[in-house]
Order: sequence, then structure tokens, then C-alpha cells
Amino acid sequence: MKAHRVRVIISVLVILTALFMFFWPSNENVENTGVLKYLSNIKLGLDIQGGSMLEYDMKLDEGTDPNEIIDNVILVLRKRLDAAGYTEAVVTKVVSGNKIRVRVEIPGITDIETAEKLIGSRGKLYFAEVVEVQTSDTKPNVSRNKYVVINGKEEELYDYVRDIYDETTWYKVKKYFTFGEEPFEFTGTEVIDANSDINTRNSGFKVNLKFSSQGSKKFELITGNLIGKRLAIILDNRVIIAPTVNQKITGGSAEITGIQTIDEARNVSALIKAGNLPVDLIKFQERTTGPTLGRDVVETIIKAGLLGLFVVMIYMIIFYGWMGLVADIALLFNSMLLLGILAGTNAILTLPGLAGIILTFGTTVDGNVIIYERIKEELRHGRPPLTAVRFGFDKAFWTLFDANLTTVLAGVVLYYFATGTVRGFAITLIIGTLGSMFTNLVVSRSILESTSHLINVKKYQKAAVEEGK
Amino acid sequence: MFDFVGKRKMFILLSLLLIITSLIFVFTKGFNLGVDFAGGTEFVISSDKEVGVDEVRDILSSIKSDYATAKIAKLKNLNVENTELYQYLVVLKESLSGSTSLKEELINNMKEKFSEKGVKIEFLEFNDVSGYAAEEIKSFAWYAVIISLILLLAYITLRFKFSFGVGAILALAHDILITMGFYSMFSIEINVAAIAAFLTLAGYSLNDTIVVYDKIRENMKKFRGKKSIEEIVNISINEVIVRSLNTSITTFLVVLPILIWGGKAIAPFAFGLAVGVVVGTYSSLYIASPIVIGWLKKTKI
Repeated sequence: MKAHRVRVIISVLVILTALFMFFWPSNENVENTGVLKYLSNIKLGLDIQGGSMLEYDMKLDEGTDPNEIIDNVILVLRKRLDAAGYTEAVVTKVVSGNKIRVRVEIPGITDIETAEKLIGSRGKLYFAEVVEVQTSDTKPNVSRNKYVVINGKEEELYDYVRDIYDETTWYKVKKYFTFGEEPFEFTGTEVIDANSDINTRNSGFKVNLKFSSQGSKKFELITGNLIGKRLAIILDNRVIIAPTVNQKITGGSAEITGIQTIDEARNVSALIKAGNLPVDLIKFQERTTGPTLGRDVVETIIKAGLLGLFVVMIYMIIFYGWMGLVADIALLFNSMLLLGILAGTNAILTLPGLAGIILTFGTTVDGNVIIYERIKEELRHGRPPLTAVRFGFDKAFWTLFDANLTTVLAGVVLYYFATGTVRGFAITLIIGTLGSMFTNLVVSRSILESTSHLINVKKYQKAAVEEGK
Repeated sequence: MFDFVGKRKMFILLSLLLIITSLIFVFTKGFNLGVDFAGGTEFVISSDKEVGVDEVRDILSSIKSDYATAKIAKLKNLNVENTELYQYLVVLKESLSGSTSLKEELINNMKEKFSEKGVKIEFLEFNDVSGYAAEEIKSFAWYAVIISLILLLAYITLRFKFSFGVGAILALAHDILITMGFYSMFSIEINVAAIAAFLTLAGYSLNDTIVVYDKIRENMKKFRGKKSIEEIVNISINEVIVRSLNTSITTFLVVLPILIWGGKAIAPFAFGLAVGVVVGTYSSLYIASPIVIGWLKKTKI
């Protein structure tokens, strides 16, 4: 009887925890509507909530080790996406065999082309002389622009560039430097490295820049001519920072001082690095789902799943009477447990994952059926209900264990080899199958042991007598 | 009591016939491979007015002549905020191979040309899988299948006997081959979700088989020396048949509505399970156990 009490207590504790995790109010995903509203504590995959998964190959030069640049690529993309307002985007490294790729997942957007351009381009970082700074809501016009020939193409010399943080601050800049033998530009390819540091001589923080050998010659020429003026560093048409040139800088390295916080210094150095995406990225695959489609599919699947669930529940009651009702309770228990675990562990629920949940219905019912057939057998042998229930569960244990463990094995293999949405299926399959074992062996058992008197014993004993004839 | 064992030769013959038919389908008709495995570009558009598949094709081929070979299908209508939207699936044979400019050109041209006809279209889904990606997914699928088979064989050998392991794997191969035949026969798309269905099916099929083997193992101890192997196997199957049928029927009842109403996204998955459950139950009763009888007899002597 002691084991029985332990089982009851564990069952109650588990379901309370699951309910708690599932219903704990959270403010995330408040925009969910329809059926999804009830899943607000569960992280939804891009195929359900809508969004885009873009995966890129890195076009490497021979002899380049992808491990060395992948972190930089991720950092660059992260900064670019943040700067463009895609703050929910997730950038990750994908290792597949001996290849390394980057994956960008952006939830809930429809206009993917902008993001794609942002990721796909190497980005343009350049230095330019600041002519004046003004405040304006819209981009001011350059009156009487001048033109210079750069790389055989005629380009506008002046332009207005917005501040990266302040939407109303516009810098009028001279994009090309005109004090050499011929006009030239100074771009991110001349910057080898950028890092942030504490300013040891003065207060505050600084950013160190290192230039290539060609870059340092150009930079010497630029700083020599612009002492006392401001030099803007511009990434993708936004001014990152515009320090004043104090002196002519020789020797291939420079420092930007007077930065107030370490965060700002880090950001500036990261953005300068971000201008130099070290490789070209080639799109490997894309999966974009609009929010309408995802919601529609999910609603249909949930409705179809609930219909199936309902039919199965009725079937079980017709076939097994009281024990069938216990199986139905187990079914609801396991579904709730699964949803609770998904909510509690932040696992991502995908479309195939939903299918996995629905399949768990099957596994749970199966476990119950195996046990009930055992119990019926024991009843036919003339054992009293409570003993029959106990014997049935004990004998069915190893059958259930072997049968379910094979499913879990298949799920684990799937989890390791699958990527993206199918992984969601593997997750729900594994959790669901383990959950069904717990539900069947602990929850169903404690209910049936408490209520064994409700089992219609005569029905089975009569059947046994008839078979005996 | 049913006699499952007596006519085993006939059922093995029937299964062989089914497997051969499946293989003929697989090798002559082949599979309807989705973009996951074949590579390519597919997208779903919605329109506020009904348009013909030919109209969609005309517009596609006016953008680029290569697009004329696209596969176009009308999907079930969508209901968004009480307005009915029509849905079309387009699969381009050639991938846009990740080109952003080609994609942009396609999307903008489509929108423009439809709006000239007074139809507003929206892109609901856009999948572009390069040939390399498809190759990679394919190789992973094989690894997954082979590794799970080895693990499962090892597990069953550990818990039962090697002969049972072989029997279970044969039954499993039987189920998967026949289900693949059905995919080919009905031109159901094979995509990553379909592979997930195959692996689930593998789990289910083994599950079924193991329940029967478990019974056989128990009864062999109980009736040792009293009854022949054939009898023992037959008694065991009869003892678990109610469970096998109940489980299969309930699983089938769950999967069927999803197959009917789930739509394009989940159909390849649901189809595999619906067919697999039926085939799997048949094999666990008529194939998996009878097939090990000969082996069990040998080990006895």
C-alpha cells in the first residue's frame, strides 16, 4: 500500500508541475491569435509562427580555415541584423561533416528581401571627411554636388549620411579624398583589425584600429590633411562614430579615444569589424513561411488531432469500460505533461512536432491496451480485481519497456541527424514516449489500484467460461 | 483461435508479391521527390480571385521561359479574417540556387503581372534548396536509417535473441518497402517529413513485433517441452491480437483525420503512418513471428 501512496503523490506532483509550467503567465508571444493563444508559453518554430530560415555557405579561398572566420562572420551578421532592427533574429553556426555554414533564423517577418540583402552583401565600410552636421527629419538634399572619377566611374562627391543611433542627425560628408594625385576612397578592406580597450592614459575607453600596409600610407595622407577636422566611419550608410583628427597618424595603427562606456567602445569596434565580412556568402537553402499559412495549417492539424483524440477516447470506453476511461485520463495526463515539459524546457514546437504529439496519443493508448489485456488475462484466471491489476502491471512492465525503448532509440537517432523542423518531431516523440511510460506505469496504476472495484469482473470471467466450453 | 502459423507459407508468398510490386513501382515509376531531396524552388501564393493553373503558368513563362515547366497545383482554400483566399503551389524544376536577384525578380514580376489582371497575390511560403543541400539531406537520411537499424538490432539481440533481432529487422524492412511502394504508387511527395514518418513507422513496427516476441518468450518458458514451436507461436499471436488490433485501429483513427484535412504540409507524413500502421500490424501477426519459427526450431536441437 505504501508503494501505491507514493505513486499517487508523484502523479499529482507531476501534473501540477506540468500545469504550472504550461499556464504560468508570460508576456512573450502576446500577438498570438486563434488556437496559438493557448500555446503562449511554448516556443513555436518558424513553420508555425511564420518566419525565415536562411542558410549560407562561406565561399572560402583555398587554404583558409573556416573555423577561424566563422565567429567573425556570425558577429558581423548579428551586428548588421541588430542595426537594421531584426533583433529577434538568431544567427548560428551549422557544422555538417567537414563543412561549416551560418544559419540565420528570423521569426515573424514577411519582407525577407531586405534582410537577405543585408546578409548577402559584404557590407560597405568607409571613412569620409565630415563637412557639417545638421538636424533634420528627412534626408537633406545636396545642392550643387560635385563629381569625381573613381575606378573609371563618375561618382557624387558629397552625400548626407544618418547617425546610426540618432535618426535626426545627418552628417554631410565628402565621400572621397581629393588631396592625392587623384581622388581615392578609404574602405573597410584597409582595416585589418579593430578592438576596444581601456584608455590607460586618460579616462574612458578607446578603440584601436590596425591598417594594411597600403591603408596606413593612405591614412597618413588623410590624417595629415585633416588635422582638427572630423573623420566619419560609415557602415552601410550609417555613421558609427566621427572622431576628430588630432594629429597626422603614421605607423599603420590608430586609436579613437574619448569614448564614455566600454559597451560603446565594444560596439564601435564590432561594427568596424562588421564592415569586413571576411568571405562571400552563398545561399545554401531558404525556408520562408508566412504567418497566415502557418496558423492555418496548425489550426487544421489541431482540429483534426482533437477529432482523432475524441474518437479514440470513445473507442476505449466502449471496448474497456471503466479501464478505458482510465486510459482516457492517462491520455489527457500525458498530453498535458508533454505540453508542460515543452513549455518548461523552451523546446521549440514545430509542425512535425505537433504530429509527434498526436502520435503520442497512439503510444499512450497502446501502453494501456497492453496492460489491460494482461489484467483481463489475470481476471480470466479467476484472480480478484486488485490482484489482477497488480499482476497485470508487473507483467506488462518489461513488454512496455522494450517496446517503448525502441521508439525512443529511433527518436534519438532522428534528433541527431535531422535539422530544423524535423528535430521538433524527434523531441516530441522522445518526451511523449517517455511520458507515456510514466503515465501508464505510475498514473494509470494508481488510479486503477484505487478503483479496482469498478472493473466489470464478471464480463471477463464469463468470457473465460465461454472460451472454456 | 485463429491459425496464423499454419498458412505462413501462403502469407510469406503474399508479402513477397507485395514487396516485388513495390520494388517494380519504385524502380519504374520512381518517387515524387520534394525539394528537400531533389533540390529546387517551391513557393505557395494566395490570390483574392480564383485563377486557372494555366494562367499561373502563362505568367511564369512570361517572366522566364524556363519556368514554363513548373509544377503547379491548386491547394485548398484559405480562410483569413473571413475572406476566402485561393492557394497555389508552384514547384520550379531548377533551383534559383540562392540568387537573391533572381528571387526578387520572380516575386516582383509575379505580383506586378497579377495586379495587371486585377488579382492581388501574396507569397505565403518560399523554399529554395540548392542541389548541395539536397545531397546533404539525402546522405543524412541514409545515415539515420542505417544507424537506427544497427542500434535496434543490437537492442533486440541484447534483450531477446539474435534470431528475434533478424526477424524484427526483416519485418521492418518488409513494412518500409511496402510503404515506399505506396508512396510511389500514389505519387506522394517524399520530403524530410516523410522520412520522419518512416522512422516512426519503424518504431511502431518494432513495437508491435516486440510485443509478440515478448509473449513468445514467455510462453516458451511456460510450455517448454509440452507444445511444439508452431503451437507456442500461434498461441502467443492469439494472445496479443486484441492488443495489436486495438492499437492499430486507434492510431489509424488519429492519423486519418490528419491525412484528410491536414493539407499539403503534413500529408506526406500522415500518409506514411496511415499505410504503415496497416502494413505493420499485418506483418507483426503474419510475418514477424512465423518467420522465426524455423530458426527457433534449429536452436532447440
